[in-house]
Amino acid sequence: MHVLLAEPPGPNLAPYIVAVFAVVLLRVGTRLRDPAPKVLLPLAAFVLFVCAWQVAADLARYELRDKEGNFLRMVEVFPAPWATLVGMREPFTDGTLLRYAVASLYRVAAGFVIAAGIGIPLGLWAGWHLRGFQAINPLIQALRPISPIAWIPIAILWFGVKDASAIFLIALSSFFPIVTGAMTAVRTIPVVYVRSAQNFGLTGSELFRRVVLPAAMPQIITALRFALGIAWMVIVAAEMIAVDSGLGYLVMDARNANYYDRVVGAMITIGIIGILLDLGMRRLELLDEVRWGFPSQREEVVEEAARPRLDAERERTETAVAR
Amino acid sequence: MRGVSKVFARQGGELEVLRDVNLTVKSGELVCLLGPSGCGKSTLLNMVGGFDAPSTGTIEIDGRPVTGPDPKRVFVFQEYGIFPWASVWDNVALGLRHRPKEEVARITQHYVELVGLAGFERSFPSELSGGMRQRVAVARALAVSPDVVFMDEPLGALDSLTRLAMRSEILRLWQSEGMTILFVTHDVDESIQLADRVVVMSPRPGRIAEIVSVDLPHPRDIGSPEYGRIKNRLYELLGVTHAV
Repeated sequence: MHVLLAEPPGPNLAPYIVAVFAVVLLRVGTRLRDPAPKVLLPLAAFVLFVCAWQVAADLARYELRDKEGNFLRMVEVFPAPWATLVGMREPFTDGTLLRYAVASLYRVAAGFVIAAGIGIPLGLWAGWHLRGFQAINPLIQALRPISPIAWIPIAILWFGVKDASAIFLIALSSFFPIVTGAMTAVRTIPVVYVRSAQNFGLTGSELFRRVVLPAAMPQIITALRFALGIAWMVIVAAEMIAVDSGLGYLVMDARNANYYDRVVGAMITIGIIGILLDLGMRRLELLDEVRWGFPSQREEVVEEAARPRLDAERERTETAVAR
Repeated sequence: MRGVSKVFARQGGELEVLRDVNLTVKSGELVCLLGPSGCGKSTLLNMVGGFDAPSTGTIEIDGRPVTGPDPKRVFVFQEYGIFPWASVWDNVALGLRHRPKEEVARITQHYVELVGLAGFERSFPSELSGGMRQRVAVARALAVSPDVVFMDEPLGALDSLTRLAMRSEILRLWQSEGMTILFVTHDVDESIQLADRVVVMSPRPGRIAEIVSVDLPHPRDIGSPEYGRIKNRLYELLGVTHAV
């Protein structure tokens, strides 16, 4: 005797309906004046992405039936958005997620500080002394393209499956962009600044402190921001293999236990923290001493200036089409 | 300057930029070096300023050969050379680092006001217009009470109205401070409006074609027949026709 558990569910229309709203939001958002589009457009894009995700998950799942052809249950091939949220409830409430995030952040911070501590002084020195640059730049450029992932076996050999392994990998991966950035920053200081400084009698440490360092600072900050982005990507890879905690480990551990909702949940957490780190680094660009190096308003000014022309063009095209 | 020449080594040979330049500038004089682009006038100025050494010949200031840059002889560059990471105040005070605090404050305040930037002390160069930035550069130069100011096309990046205003500013400051000014320009009117003497240079290799004295009292009437005569003469020396 077979008990009919349930009938297979009908097609899920919800993502399509939500997507229609998102498209309307996009249309409205492009026509409004700033700042509304800055919020509406990314929101609409985000909602559309979640809809597409839901549709893909719906299409991929299949019906599981017994030998007689009776429907047993639906099998999820990969988790839908809601299932992901539900799956993350446990690691979130029992504190695992927070603990792992802190563990990852600690490793990134430690490795990043080591890389900056060595990379910035070395880059400044090699940028200022041509002979130093000639000596070490080829070596740095040769080591730079080796993916940090390729270093994982060496890291484990040297440091074991411990924090030190992951920190070493982070330091390594952020060192090269930082040292290259600092070198380039000093080498591209406009000669007029150096001449001004010499003209007013600045030499030695005073020249360095009052001219070389501040002139190079904006590019160094850009290099740091770039390096932190790389470090955050590498930590996940490092934690998958070289340690047994952290968000990268969570991804791998959940996969091994076949909890794919947690895999995706951990990925999302990684993305959110990555965005927050980058936003934090961008705050540095607003400091008085370096603001001159970041013409952050330019983009919007150009856009504003181009708008009347673009609008006129579009109107012309639309009238032509209408005719 | 006696028998000064400059040869740059470059790919596939040498480039002679200056040949046998002889020039004496009196203390307190305002001399313009006038010539087309590439005639070596900036190179000459860099050597007089101590940033570069001549290939042959000697450059002496007050009887001593120039060996390097010196805070008593300061540059005002076309690209200003003021520091974008420092405020107007800190820029102007750059050359006063080793003086007592009150003195620095007094001198800085004086020159900031003299160039008309009072109220902008805390501003950063990126918040100022081109003309105001050049005023910062001028104030920074004057603050060290220099004997000589070298100006390398200092007004080249400004619009023509600002340039006119800045010329009379420079004249005013020159008359009140009494320093020697060596002014590089390719603008004929600029040279006649400013200079006691205009040194006309011919291109590649750069030589002095002629030195034209401008014996007109300031402020100079750009419509006067004497002004027109000098202007014609300069255009003639530069090999361009005046009437277009």
